[in-house]
Amino acid sequence: MSATQAVTRPIESGRGSSLLFGGWEVGLLVIMAALYLGGLYLNPAFFGSTSALFSVLRDASRYGVMAVGMTFVLVNKELDLSVGSTFGLTATFFGMLFAPSYFDLDVTTAVVACLALGLVIGLTNGFLVTVLEVPAFIATLTTLFIGRGVILGLTGGKNIAFELKADEYPTFFRIGEINALGFNNQIIVFLVIAAIGAVALAYTSYGWTTYATGGNEQAARYAGINTGFVRMRSYVLSSLCAVTAGLMNLAQSKDADPAFGLGAELVVIASVIVGGTAIFGGRGRVIGSCLGAILVGLIDKVLREGVPITRIIQVGDEKMEVAAISQLPPGAVPAFLGVVLVLAVLVEPWLVRRRILARAWARLRGLPPPVTPDLGGVAISGAQTRGTASQARGLGKRGIAAFFYRRDAAAVILVVALWLFGFWARPDFWQGLDNSFSMLLAFSEIALLAVGLTFVMANGDIDLSVGSVLALSGATAAVIMKDTSLGPLAAGVIAIGVGVLAGAVNGWLTAYVGLPAFIATLGTFYWARGIGSSIVSGTQLNGFPESFNLIGRSLFELLDAFGIAPTHGWWLAVAEAVSVQTIFVLVVAAIAGVVLAYTTFGQKVLAVGGNERAATFAGINTRRVRFTALLISGTCAAFAGVIYDAFYRSFIPTAGQLRELDAISSIIIGGGSIFGGYGTMIGSLAGAGVITLIRQLLSLQIILRDGSSFVLPQQWQNVFIGLILIIAVVGDIWLRQKNILGAWFGGMRAGEEATPAVLEHRA
Amino acid sequence: MTTPIVDMRGIYKSFGPVQALIDVNLRLMPGEVLGLVGDNSAGKSTLMKIVTGAYQRDAGDIFIDGTPVHFKSPHESRDRGIEMIYQDFALCGNLDVGQNIFLGRWPMRYGIFVDRARMHGDARAILNRLKVDVNSVYQKVESLSGGRQQSVAIARAISFAPKVVIFDEPTANLSVTATHRLLETISELKVHGVAQVIISHRMTDIFEVGDRVMVLKRGRNVGDRAIAQTTEKEVLELIVSGVPETPTAPEAAL
Repeated sequence: MSATQAVTRPIESGRGSSLLFGGWEVGLLVIMAALYLGGLYLNPAFFGSTSALFSVLRDASRYGVMAVGMTFVLVNKELDLSVGSTFGLTATFFGMLFAPSYFDLDVTTAVVACLALGLVIGLTNGFLVTVLEVPAFIATLTTLFIGRGVILGLTGGKNIAFELKADEYPTFFRIGEINALGFNNQIIVFLVIAAIGAVALAYTSYGWTTYATGGNEQAARYAGINTGFVRMRSYVLSSLCAVTAGLMNLAQSKDADPAFGLGAELVVIASVIVGGTAIFGGRGRVIGSCLGAILVGLIDKVLREGVPITRIIQVGDEKMEVAAISQLPPGAVPAFLGVVLVLAVLVEPWLVRRRILARAWARLRGLPPPVTPDLGGVAISGAQTRGTASQARGLGKRGIAAFFYRRDAAAVILVVALWLFGFWARPDFWQGLDNSFSMLLAFSEIALLAVGLTFVMANGDIDLSVGSVLALSGATAAVIMKDTSLGPLAAGVIAIGVGVLAGAVNGWLTAYVGLPAFIATLGTFYWARGIGSSIVSGTQLNGFPESFNLIGRSLFELLDAFGIAPTHGWWLAVAEAVSVQTIFVLVVAAIAGVVLAYTTFGQKVLAVGGNERAATFAGINTRRVRFTALLISGTCAAFAGVIYDAFYRSFIPTAGQLRELDAISSIIIGGGSIFGGYGTMIGSLAGAGVITLIRQLLSLQIILRDGSSFVLPQQWQNVFIGLILIIAVVGDIWLRQKNILGAWFGGMRAGEEATPAVLEHRA
Repeated sequence: MTTPIVDMRGIYKSFGPVQALIDVNLRLMPGEVLGLVGDNSAGKSTLMKIVTGAYQRDAGDIFIDGTPVHFKSPHESRDRGIEMIYQDFALCGNLDVGQNIFLGRWPMRYGIFVDRARMHGDARAILNRLKVDVNSVYQKVESLSGGRQQSVAIARAISFAPKVVIFDEPTANLSVTATHRLLETISELKVHGVAQVIISHRMTDIFEVGDRVMVLKRGRNVGDRAIAQTTEKEVLELIVSGVPETPTAPEAAL
């Protein structure tokens, strides 16, 4: 039976890899030591003291606690982007309950309430992801934005202080203070939670079911593991860790700032990935994540503390030497962390799985390279011909009936309905030309981003960076016009070039390096905005040449600049009501619509989104298609950035914030799918119209019966838009893809006929 | 003696420590229907993926129409007239039947625009020639049943005018009537002179349409019989307890 032995010869070496500690952690310790020595060399005054070490550890401990929870989430092949806003929401919630100026409750109640809040957030995330099957990144991104909106809505952007009252409850607030041994108690909390997490993941069935679910969910489910519960509890755990970290922070600061936790999700995810956890699930250790948190915390500190320099300044006739700290401009830290995140994610597919280092080392020594798994290209990765029953039912229908079966019909109907609703609510304001003009302006920014993003989402990818690329391009154009002698034309061209470049980076990382699109563009989301705000040094720039600003004016002003403005008649009315950017957007959208619907490139995009494997077999260069789509998206965002500068005649670093949310919502409302394969330009434009109208309606001044009026604050609008995005995604998955309504109605009409078909498609 | 359309000699393939194929030979004559059977992990799919170029062999020779080949990807084997129909059909559910049949090579107008009228017309013609019952070429593929999705996949393969079609477990997901229709389609293709390899677990299907059956066991040839000269029982015995042997001359089967 030699054949049998040849095939099934087992390989056993050592005791297998530890789930507690390994080579990765050793490497991290070495890097950390090197970094600390570097800090010591650059800034001995700060890094030379033990208090510095403790302060690094103190700040890292909060990230570390969140990283413990995040490890469980990522090992489960999930993602939780909401930890930063949960961290911030804890502060706001606690502050409002505890502070004498608000509810003035005792500390125990406030803490219990915060933990309950964490439980609710975790369960919400878990429910959205595991039960409603919303992709994790989109569900938790929305929770992030909603959480931020609620923080601003509740606090109005103001700080809540409770320092005096904190003295009445020394037990709780001692957590944030320095103990008799000379270090902050938060470090102890961190160590305890890290130890519990590490043991739980490495040695208990709790941890092993987590690994199994992340490694192969189907296999785990067949083995009798309740994977839905395992995934759900990871979100709860992550939220509770974020609340704990938020409470630790509060105990130290003794106030609640609405900016707490801003961008913390980036630090935490970067920490966990740096700590050796795979973004593709199934691999990761808590100790690695904790070391990652300390390392990222250390980098953060080095970047923020800066390098001491001596500057010579002129005071009258005398020259004086002044000691100063050279610091990086604001935005540099998130920019850097965004890059770290992307690089760290690359480690798993390239260093670990393809063993690049081992192969390079073998080549250097002239030995044959080690065995790498046969990736087998597209032939191995399985992809089903996805089933959604909702299509083709309209086959053979004509006219209006056929229209109702279109995926983008709902958006068109909604636009009309919302417009009529606005007209009904405030006819005096709604019919005015000013309102239409301002709505068209708001529409053009969202629509322009949506046009580019439609290609990306039809492809099955996502671009979370559109708002940030808008800011980066806007910043580039603004800085060039202000600080260089280059004219507005050069500024516009370079700014658009920068956007194309950002799109190319997204496309390269996604299509050629093989990162999931959401993680590659999440990196860009941070670095593009970070660089944008650091090149303008975090300030507002204005005073651009008027010839440049014409891009953002009405058609009348443009024609007037050339001396050909109309003087009377309907032509004058049109020229005054329509802006240059609206025309530009409609032209771009028309071209893009034709490309998507009628050209081979458009067909390729839809084919790749429908079934990438099938498209590859058919000889379509799927990588190039995906790359191009992300490039188009970056370009459209850059256009939007240049128009932003021209329209507002100024640039602020928060330009385009939350716009990715608007654009993604527009596309999904307009018939696109978060899973790709669908999308029309008309649908996306109608979706952008829906979002614009909702924003406009939410900001309407409602005049009440008694003559008083009410306006919804801006921050609550964002909460609504977040909710709408979630509703749209859930509606897309359950109504369009799985055709729940059709199954119900079909079931009622045709008895058992409809159900097996739906079940077959769901399988 | 005619030249075999596919001739594989002494194929070896390993995945890490696992020897998936050991000295495997396969010959396929023009117009022949060959059933490729064997237990799970016998190497059937691996052998076929090596023919199409999805996998690279470790050792051995492959001749297509008498000339040695070294396919790097399925696209290269397609150019030489080899088509594979995958178990999951590899279709885009969000596109319609016509778009799927011409996936990636849609007829064009003015260089960039898709000529939809011509595409749907040609698709209809191919479906008619194949005598399959797909009602409309405008239907989205995801709304079709499994059997009809397979018909689309076959129509797509046929549109390349292949010399060899490989079916990977074609009847695994089909209903009884759909299986029956598929077997008719296979016979129809045979009439047109297309050689076919059918990877299957279902012996009855192979005995109904096949000319010859080849058995693999743990990556080795263990049997090669003409359908006319064997029984289902004998083939089953080979699958379970066959010993390595060299294949018989395939022309004996015709």
